[in-house]
Amino acid sequence: MQTITFVLAGTMLAATPLLIAALGELIAEKSGILNLSVEGMMALGAAIGFIVVMETGSYWLAFLAGGLVSTLLAALFGAVVLLALGNQVATGLAVGILGVGLAALIGKPYESKTVPPMPRMPIPFLSDIPVIGPGLFNHVVLVYLAPLAALGLWWLFRYSKLGLIIRAVGESPEASHAIGHNVMLVRLLAVLAGGFLAGVAGAFISVASTTLWSDGMIAGRGWIVVALVVFGTWRVGRVMIGAYLFGIASIAELLVQSTGIGVPSQLLTSIPYVATIVAIALLSMDGRRIRLNAPVSLGRVYREAQ
Amino acid sequence: MRLRKRIVAWLAGAAAAFVATATQAEPVKISFLYPSPVADVGWAKQLDLGREAIEEKFGDAVESIVVENIPEGPDAARIMNQMVTDGAKFVMLGSFGYMNDGLRLARQHPDIAFIHASGFKQTDNFGTFTARNYEGFYLGGLAAGMVTESDTIGIVAAFAIPEVVAAVNAITLAVHKVDPDAKIKIVWLNSWFDPPKAQEAARALISQGADVLFSLHQDTPSVVNVAEAEGVYVVNTSSDMSAYGPNSVLASVINDWNDYFIESFQAALDGDFKGADFRGGLASGAVKVAAWNDDLTEEQLGTIKQAEADLASGKTHVFAGPLKDQDGNVRAEAGTTLPDQEIFGMNWLVEGVSGSLPN
Amino acid sequence: MTRLPWIVDTRVHRTRYTALLAPCTAIAVTIVGALILMSIMGVPPLRALYYLYAAPLSGRYNIGEVLLKMSPLLLIAQGLAIGFRAKVWNIGAEGQLILGAIGGSLLPIYFNDSQSALMLPAMVLVGASFGMAWAAMAAFLRARFNANEILVTLMLNSIALQLLYYLVSGPLRDPFGFNFPQSALFPDAAMLPILVGGTRVNVSFFIALIATALAWLLVRRSMIGYKLEVGGTAPNAARYAGFSEKQAVWLSLLIGGAAAGLAGVFEVAGPLGQLQRVISPGYGFAAIIVAFLGGLNPVGILFAAFFMAVILVGGDIAQTAAGVPYALNTVLQGILLVTYIAARLFVDYRVRLRPPAPASEAQI
Repeated sequence: MQTITFVLAGTMLAATPLLIAALGELIAEKSGILNLSVEGMMALGAAIGFIVVMETGSYWLAFLAGGLVSTLLAALFGAVVLLALGNQVATGLAVGILGVGLAALIGKPYESKTVPPMPRMPIPFLSDIPVIGPGLFNHVVLVYLAPLAALGLWWLFRYSKLGLIIRAVGESPEASHAIGHNVMLVRLLAVLAGGFLAGVAGAFISVASTTLWSDGMIAGRGWIVVALVVFGTWRVGRVMIGAYLFGIASIAELLVQSTGIGVPSQLLTSIPYVATIVAIALLSMDGRRIRLNAPVSLGRVYREAQ
Repeated sequence: MRLRKRIVAWLAGAAAAFVATATQAEPVKISFLYPSPVADVGWAKQLDLGREAIEEKFGDAVESIVVENIPEGPDAARIMNQMVTDGAKFVMLGSFGYMNDGLRLARQHPDIAFIHASGFKQTDNFGTFTARNYEGFYLGGLAAGMVTESDTIGIVAAFAIPEVVAAVNAITLAVHKVDPDAKIKIVWLNSWFDPPKAQEAARALISQGADVLFSLHQDTPSVVNVAEAEGVYVVNTSSDMSAYGPNSVLASVINDWNDYFIESFQAALDGDFKGADFRGGLASGAVKVAAWNDDLTEEQLGTIKQAEADLASGKTHVFAGPLKDQDGNVRAEAGTTLPDQEIFGMNWLVEGVSGSLPN
Repeated sequence: MTRLPWIVDTRVHRTRYTALLAPCTAIAVTIVGALILMSIMGVPPLRALYYLYAAPLSGRYNIGEVLLKMSPLLLIAQGLAIGFRAKVWNIGAEGQLILGAIGGSLLPIYFNDSQSALMLPAMVLVGASFGMAWAAMAAFLRARFNANEILVTLMLNSIALQLLYYLVSGPLRDPFGFNFPQSALFPDAAMLPILVGGTRVNVSFFIALIATALAWLLVRRSMIGYKLEVGGTAPNAARYAGFSEKQAVWLSLLIGGAAAGLAGVFEVAGPLGQLQRVISPGYGFAAIIVAFLGGLNPVGILFAAFFMAVILVGGDIAQTAAGVPYALNTVLQGILLVTYIAARLFVDYRVRLRPPAPASEAQI
């Protein structure tokens, strides 16, 4: 495996779950709901997905089950935030903790077992290109689907009526309600979609990437996802670029170490986090840009006019 | 028979029966504390096998309690205390980080025997046990040097604790013995638990040309999975992981605590437990190297087995002089071997490792 | 369009009675959840109940452990709650705690044979300012660059951990410790006095209580507390009144950072006695739950910290005695906070059934 091939392949593998979950988080945030429980939803998706592959051998069923169980968790989050008018930050943390705990509890009997890797789907012709081919075009199918999903989401927000409604609800729930949109329903569906995608992303890590389940294996990736949405200033394209950049950054750390350059490895390990802080600070510096893109009602409790 | 004699005999019999029922009714409690969950493979699993060995040998005479997945923080002390309060007479502490709390408790309870993994402080009732894993990794290193075609060996390591550093050095020395041109590359994860990252590190090393990987102190078969998928060899720690990588596992360096645990517990039962520093290697069987890959030829395996026999008999030593570190300082003169104290406190890499310690 | 079958009105009069409703409901649901989960794992309900709630409160040692665990939770939660009331979301207490532990360790490591009585006060000062400085980075980025403090404090947690790893395996490592990644043991002068013999409870418990009193004064009796709340919740109104959102951000994060840093010093100068790789079993995150469970109210937090400490110690006991997995603790924390937030609906609002709507309106 050549260095470039590895960087490309490694980036795709590291970035795909981040991108899938970040798209989900983006949908929720566009509708005005800040969901901080991504880490827990990914963990639960990873555990359930792994168990399903272990028991049935079906990878598609695993993604579906991982996604659906995380959707249930998202439904709990949605109910508390939308119906019980809970604070979104606190509720997100609480549901996230619940998800991590449930994943550990349910996954306990499957600790450190492995499943056979999901079959790859090399893209004809493209995967034969030297260097780039095996790096970019020889992966499991979800790796290709993720950018396509991003494209679809971009189209949804840009051109479809549904996308317009989601954005309107996120900008001004009161006005949306006044013109007859069902704010609660739109937000609930957005949250559920976010939960589903987070679960799929978690299942991707356990069944398509590591092929094993272990408590704590999400290791903070859910938080990176939340950061990516801010990093991408709520724009689909930028979120996608951010996910791949983060993938490269995490691969670069290991690559630098493996070439034997004498830098303290803890410093290298910190680089992606430092980079995220710097990026967020730089992007937020121009307050207008943030205000222009951030859903206006993001994080605010919305109570329907009586 | 005189009455007095009969009474005495009766009393003695009753007393014996009483003692017998008492011991039958109340098995000796033994408590085991692990830093990670007991899975199919890994560090905690090997410790747990040792516990099972005690149960098998002593049967109903023991009752064991297991607490797993306890981080090395302020909670560990409470759990240990709970174990002692519940009547444990023999306590096994499965992580270095339990040292100070364990010692404190041992001082308060001189009647309870403690054994502690990887530590360096002993008292009368507090013994330590450490594996000379570097001996096993030396053999793994020989095999790696024999099979590598790219002359590049990659090491995925969790944290630079002395035990792991010694393993890295042993691997380097062994590989260079067989293949002096081989490059040794290393990635430190700085994370106890991040299987995806361990796998990315493994792939990074493969991309840098490594065709033999070493997985140092990863509890999960994460690196083995990558090796199997990418078609490179791997030597792993703790348990036999050949089931996860039937083609890729070159060898597994296994810890076997059964004999040591049984002996220590027997000593505790007999009342002659003495907190000592047990450092088990190939000779004592505490370190075993198993799951040798079929790709190794008879001749190669013969060389390795000879090296194993020589290390076990003490004829040779992994860290025999002349030994230089990365900066060219002489660490052991020719004709000497590195004392245990330096092996178990190792914080320098031998000449020939490309990469540095994270400090 | 469909409408919810109930109506939610803001509750104008909040009584102490209604305020207690939410935490009590949350605790009840958590207990029921614990019983169900533990009976699935084969622990009879009564025994489960005993492990979780009675065992931690029986015997001097266990009560001591509850108080020991309660101290950092209480201290950090009081600091965080001040920020949360001002809508400043510092979720980086874990990192600030680690920095406090590092700062507090410097003196006893470099003056390892000192018996000076000034050692402890100096450690406290250094540690608290380290925690403050770590939080100040987030405050600066938020106040100057508008960077979201949730994300910045989160990232700073990860960086703090790597910094700790670097220091304990390098510069602060015990030179006589066989190069194991931990510092030298602290001298006696650097250790907090134990309050009750046979336990591990130390002076930090009192300090956490004092912090509670101070927080109460700040919230109830001072202008700063008022400014904070207004500055955070209604930035426009605050600007007219001469308070700024920036002040709220700075003050919130500095107080939160100092409290967490202090808790870090107390961990190394208390139960740990040295700097090591693991300082906190997630106190920084558990304290967030405590802050909310206490209704962001200093007195409420006192009770919430106590309850949280009880279930955490109880979970450990259940683990030892009945082999219940550690993850149960995590699940219970989640259930506790989720139900609390849900139950708050009935505290902050009056919920009543929607009266049947006229036919014309229902068509909208």
